[in-house]
This record gives sequence, C-alpha cells and structure tokens, in this order.
Amino acid sequence: MVSIKQFIANRPTSARALATLVATIALLGLAIIVDPLNDTYLATASIMAIAIVGLSLLIGLSGQVSIGNSGFMAIGAFTTAIWAQHHAHFPLLGSMALSVAVSTVAGIVLGLPSTRLRGPYLAGMTLAFAFAIPPFIQSLGTFAGGSGGLYFPTLQTPAWFASAIGEKDNPLAANNTWGAAIAIVVAAVAFFFMANFFHSRSGRAMRLVRDNDVAAELVGVNVARTRVLAFAISAAFAGLAGSLLAIIQSSVLPQTFGVALSIELLSLLVLGGLGTLGGAMIAGLIAAYSDSIVSRINSWTGIDPVSNLGGSLKGIIFGLILIATMLLAPSGLAGLGHRISRFVRSRVAQKKALSVSETP
Amino acid sequence: MIDLLTSRVMGDIFLGVTQGVLYGLIGLSLVIVWQSTNILNFAQGAMAMFATYVGMTLLEHGLNYWACLAISVAAGFVLGGATERVLVRPLYGKPEINSIVVMVGFLGILEAGAIAIWGGTSRMIVSPFSLSYFQHNGKTIFLSPFAILQIAAAVTVMLIVAGLFRFTKLGLQLRAAALAPEVARLLGVRVNRLLTLGWALASAAGAVAAVVISSGFEGLTPTNMDVYFVFGFIAAAVGGLESPLGAVLAGVLIGMLQQFIVDYAPPSWASFSPVLILVVALMIRPQGLFSKQRVRRV
Repeated sequence: MVSIKQFIANRPTSARALATLVATIALLGLAIIVDPLNDTYLATASIMAIAIVGLSLLIGLSGQVSIGNSGFMAIGAFTTAIWAQHHAHFPLLGSMALSVAVSTVAGIVLGLPSTRLRGPYLAGMTLAFAFAIPPFIQSLGTFAGGSGGLYFPTLQTPAWFASAIGEKDNPLAANNTWGAAIAIVVAAVAFFFMANFFHSRSGRAMRLVRDNDVAAELVGVNVARTRVLAFAISAAFAGLAGSLLAIIQSSVLPQTFGVALSIELLSLLVLGGLGTLGGAMIAGLIAAYSDSIVSRINSWTGIDPVSNLGGSLKGIIFGLILIATMLLAPSGLAGLGHRISRFVRSRVAQKKALSVSETP
Repeated sequence: MIDLLTSRVMGDIFLGVTQGVLYGLIGLSLVIVWQSTNILNFAQGAMAMFATYVGMTLLEHGLNYWACLAISVAAGFVLGGATERVLVRPLYGKPEINSIVVMVGFLGILEAGAIAIWGGTSRMIVSPFSLSYFQHNGKTIFLSPFAILQIAAAVTVMLIVAGLFRFTKLGLQLRAAALAPEVARLLGVRVNRLLTLGWALASAAGAVAAVVISSGFEGLTPTNMDVYFVFGFIAAAVGGLESPLGAVLAGVLIGMLQQFIVDYAPPSWASFSPVLILVVALMIRPQGLFSKQRVRRV
C-alpha cells in the first residue's frame, strides 16, 4: 500500500488531476444542492478565480505588475458577445476558445514592451492600456454595441441536465445551476493547467527571471520570451474569465471593465496571497460574496445603500484591505494560513519533544 | 500673421499646449516623488483631486478664486506630507510591488472617499478669466484668457520648483537626500524630514493642476483626474522620470500629439494614442528622452 505522500511525490500530475477531479465533483454537488442565488455566486467565484489566478501567475510568479487585466477581460467578453451576435446557436467551447485566442494575441502585443520596461514603467503602461479599452470598445460603434453594450440569447440548459438534477419544471433554477456547472468545470481545467505550469520548467524559469534575470540568462533561460509568455498566459486566463462572464450574464457593458475592475482584481489577489493557487480560490469566493458582505455592512451600520457613502463603501473597503494586507501581512490569507499551521506544528513538535525528554 | 493664428494647425497647437501643460504638471509631481523616494505615486492625480475638493468645500461661500487656489495647494501640501509619513515610510527598502499595490489601494480609497463625501457629479470653481476663445474677423483663435492663465500657472510652478532645487540651500539638501541619503544623513541633513517635504511639494504642484482643471469646461469629478494621471505618467516616463524639465516638455509634446490624432485620425485611434506614444517612445529610448542616466543592459 502506497502512502498518499509517496503517491504525490512520485506521480505529481496524477495527484493534481485526482485532487482537481475530487474538488470539481464536490463543487458540482454543491451547485446542485444550493439555491439559484448561491449558484450565481458560485459561478462568479469560479470566473473571478480564473482571472485572479492568471494575474497571480504574472505578478507572483514572473514578478511583473499589471493593472491592465480588466482590459483583457473586456477583450474576452466582447469577442464572445460579438461572436454570439452573428451566430444564433453559438457553441460554448468554440466561443471560449476564440476569446482565449484573441486575448492571448493582445497579451503578447502588450507583453512585448515588457522585454524593455521594468517595474513601475510596466505597471504604468498596463494602466494606460486598461484605461484605453472601454472608450476604444465604445468607439467601435454598433459593431460592439457602443456604450449600451451587447445583449444576446441566454444560455440554453440542455434537457438532459435539467432532468438529471430534477429541475425540469423550473427552467430558471436549472439555468443558474447549468451556468455554475460550466464555470466550475472551466475553472477546474484552468486551475489544473496552472498547478502543473507552476511546477513546470517554464514556471521555474519564470521564478528565476523574477528573482535574478542575469542569472536566468546565464543558465540559458530566454528572459524576453519568458516575460512575454507570462503576459500571454495571464491575458488568456483573463480572456477566458471575460468570455465566461459574458456567457453567463448574456450581456456585456464596456463600463464594467474599467480600471476599477483591475484594482479589484489586484486587491483580491493580494488579499488571497500572491503566487498561490489556494489564495486565488479564496480571492474568487471573496469576490463573489463581496457585494452581499458589503450590503450586510450597510444594514448593520444603517448606511443607506443608494447614498454616496453606501455606493462607494466597497471601493473604500477594497482600498483599505489592499493597504492593510501589504503593510501587515504581505503574503495574504494563504500565507497567513501557512504561518498558522507552521506555528501549530512547531508547538506540537515542542510538546512531543518535551514529553519525550520527560519520560526517562 | 492673423491668418496663421486662426489656421487649423495653429488651433491644434494651442489646444494641445493648453492641455499638455496639465499633463506636464502631474508629470512634474511624479518626477519629484520618484527622484526623492523611487516610488511611482499612482495616487498623484487622486491626491490633487482630493486636495482641490477640500479647498472648494472650505470656500463654498463667497468664493474668491485666488484664495481657493491657495487653500487647495496648501491642502495638497499637507496631504502629500501626511501620505509620506503614514503610508510610504513603511515601504522604503521593500520590493517594488509593495509600493505599487499600496499606492493603487490609496488611489481607490481617495476616489471612493471623494464620491462618499462630495458625490460623483462634476464640480466647478468659477475663475475670473473667460473660457471663450478669442475671435478675429469671425474666425476663432483657439486660445482663451483662461488658457493663457493655465499655461502661465504651469510655467510658474515649474520655475518655482526649478529655482527651489537649484538655487536654495533647501533644494541642495533635497537633492542630496535623494541622491545619497546615507551620506546626506552623516553630513547632518535631516533626510526623513526632507522626504516628507518632497512628497508635500509634489502634491502641492499636482493640486495646482487639479484647481485649473476644475475651472475648465469639464469641471472636476472624483475620477476625471485618472486620465491626467495616465498622461502625466506617460509624460514623466517619456521624459525619463528623472528630469523635471523633461516631464513638462514631454507633457506639452504629448498634449499636441494627442490633439493632432484626435483632429486628423479616426476616433477609435484616439483612445489608444497614449499607450502607443508611451510604448514607441520607451522602445526607442528606455531611459527616457530627456534623461542623462544610462540604462542597465540585460
């Protein structure tokens, strides 16, 4: 009988595949059990987790700060939406693949300057990009819906799925569950890819480029290509998230994808923990439930949600979280969990050592 | 002569320069902060906006333009100094990403906070100078008394900053603190105090830009300084982040280029022109157009 530890060490990819499968089945079960409202939260959590883990690769692994990923989400969302406009029965996988392809190309183009620019210069450039995207989409005119955005037919739940979950007579509930199921499965595939990439040769090369680009070049890593690759993958994930968002909401608005979304992604990523998969998952959940958490805070404190203060409360809280995390716990929630478990383990070890020394 | 002034090209130049000096002012504040603390202040535009709103509120009744300007600049000075003390000081010696994240977070707080306090609608400070363009024989010269004030204000701020840095003892200490903080400290310069002063000065210079914007056609909203920050950053980056004069010149240049693109190119080009200008300029000269510093190879 092989122990779990040995299995993980000997067959890491199989272990990750198994873990992904178990998590996916558990989440799908959860999506079927919970009510339609929580289904939409699960879908949002999966979508945001995809975008955040992509940003985590770029910032945490390759060390390049981007405030432009809202722009790639917009590109992904609008590619899907425009495609859906022209094809009445658009295939889900096809439109997602198209969105990923288009945003990857955009990522490579924006990533090219990263071979020459560093740190704040690069971050500023991505900010300028994020800033340019919504007005650019509006200026495309009716093709991209202008400032009114695009609407297209809602997601069709297949009959087999509705009857399988026993919601044949409740199309709305079935629809929400179907949307959540798609988002969960896509997120699972994305996270499986990312888990393998983090431990791949390219992933290690990225870490080396982040820590010491001269050393990386000396051991034969192509620094320029590695930097651009990080941008491309990060953009692909953001594009995928945008495409899913468009599919599930069956509408897109250019204003949704402003700089504020980029700041939100960055806050959530830092809060969850840079460069960790678990952190990105936590961050996705927080993203999905943040609105209802904020409305809870509104009702506790008695702040009118439609007043100026109520409307901007979320922004203020996000900003405070961002600063507090960076100044007090730079490794985020994932790092905090890690620290606590290490603390507990060292305490247990101490106790054991004490009891051993007391026995003789 | 007059025909030239009313021509389309001269109109674009006038409009571009008027807009460009504002980018230059924000760029100048970014350069001061960068030089003294090696931090790119993503909240520079938002800090200027916040300071100007404070000035407006204090003078809601019986508005005197010059008093409002003075109070806003003073508010900017205090806000800048306080920011350095509270938020920025723990960041020295930390990785670059920490300062980027904290300043982006501060940007979010200032904008959301301004909406919470003052609402999201546009506010104006009415200036004593007319916004309407000069006319000649039924043709328009795209300059107004206010535009001339705007350009004059930017030039004045720049001269004050340049004079302060070059000709005063304080300026010498500021430069020493930025260039070699340890040596400066050993020679008795109070480096920490000077870093606070650097942030305060930069923020005050930014506040001048926000006051001017609030008297223009669009007025001031909690978020419309974003665009000025982006262009100001591009100006500072193109100028080399090290050169105050370079930032102002680059700002004027970018203002003109943008005006020409808006006037002559299809509308969808205009939104991407800033990114393109930045990328092209930095690909040609990564150290900036006006910087003497050599860039590290690799």
